[in-house]
Amino acid sequence: MAKQVVLLVGTKKGLYQVRSDADRKKWTVDGPHEAPAPIHHATYDPRDGSMYAAINSTWGGSRIQYSRDLGKTWQTSKNPAFPEGSDRTFFQTWHIEPGHAKTPNILWAGTEPAALWKSEDRGETWQLNKALDDQPSRAKWVPGFGGMGLHSIAIDADEPNKLQVGISVGGVYTSTDGGASWVQDNAQTGGKEDRPDVFYCIHKLLAHPKTSGVRFMRVHVDVFWREPGETAWRNRTEGLPSTFGFAAAMHPRDRSVAYVIPLDDTKRTASPPGIGVYSTNDRGATWTRNDRGLPPGAALESVREGMDTDLLDPLGVYFGTANGDVWASRDEGKSWERAAQYLPYVTSVHAATID
Amino acid sequence: MRVLLHGAYRGFAGGARDVTLDAATLREALEALVRAHPSLAERLRDEHGRLRAHLSLFVNQEDARFVGGEDATLADGDIVHVIPALSGG
Repeated sequence: MAKQVVLLVGTKKGLYQVRSDADRKKWTVDGPHEAPAPIHHATYDPRDGSMYAAINSTWGGSRIQYSRDLGKTWQTSKNPAFPEGSDRTFFQTWHIEPGHAKTPNILWAGTEPAALWKSEDRGETWQLNKALDDQPSRAKWVPGFGGMGLHSIAIDADEPNKLQVGISVGGVYTSTDGGASWVQDNAQTGGKEDRPDVFYCIHKLLAHPKTSGVRFMRVHVDVFWREPGETAWRNRTEGLPSTFGFAAAMHPRDRSVAYVIPLDDTKRTASPPGIGVYSTNDRGATWTRNDRGLPPGAALESVREGMDTDLLDPLGVYFGTANGDVWASRDEGKSWERAAQYLPYVTSVHAATID
Repeated sequence: MRVLLHGAYRGFAGGARDVTLDAATLREALEALVRAHPSLAERLRDEHGRLRAHLSLFVNQEDARFVGGEDATLADGDIVHVIPALSGG
């Protein structure tokens, strides 16, 4: 069967599926599912073909749903639940991460209040990661503008027991034993920001899916790279038009390539000269602006989960915007075409490459 | 007595709209409702057992908050309404 690309597009009013064949020239839009619930994130699990969605509804409370038939029907998980006696209540899900290929049935989820949850039954139930929750430094976590959430779960390409989480605003924690214990992991080199707090406002942390030890991190201020064996985050912001932004992606094969969408650090919309995707092919040493096909000068906005790539060759890169557009590149980010428009505010884009 | 599910709560109960139950209080009615439709358990209450925000409960035409809350007494013929709260945006 020919490959297809399904973009799982979370919006402030429901989940959409934007589909194309491997040519990625013509797109169809299905949805919304569960409108008017805001969808913080949705993902596809290539291990078994399941889909997962963070349904963050006020009516009936937030919940995680899963689909075993590519989004035709959905079932509701048993909610993440803070233990009896806790002063916290599950509010909403920020991110759902399929586990490593070597750990079938395991998924991870990050929530607000900031906490890490593990499922060992393909997302049907969720258990709190107590080791992270018991960190004394949790007392220092504070909410960012969007709340206090755990949104990044970066699992090493080779070793499923090595994972990191990113928290707004709480910094990075690393585990080398599958989440049984954690250490803070916030050493940086090359940082220019003199405020002591902003490095802990992680916006997106990614693990390269093929090369063990490679990480890319978008922080409130600046972007950072880490190579295998390194223990500090190297500042790689020089060459970008601003220090601020949310959306970030890594090339799934080329471990030196990453993408970001810089935003103006006060307006929170695209940095002058307007919306553009910046790419690096040398691990952040230099950055190239890519805007062919994008509306010139447009002050668009793409948020934390707003960008992803497919697995095809040449690579497809995708991002959504607050004004309801989804943009697609089928030449590794060099040029762009609109895949969908007039959707509600896009909060997340996940590209599923399906056989 | 009867429980009428409105709006999103019908979907949470698999499409059920009108449930006939035996209950002496609103609390008992909600417990019986969850026994009849377990999928409503986490949609009505959070993990600490608190009724969710954005949930309105009426006994006949009265907002349950003003007739005893979950202790409101029910009689034959009463109707409990489970309603997604009026929410804009």
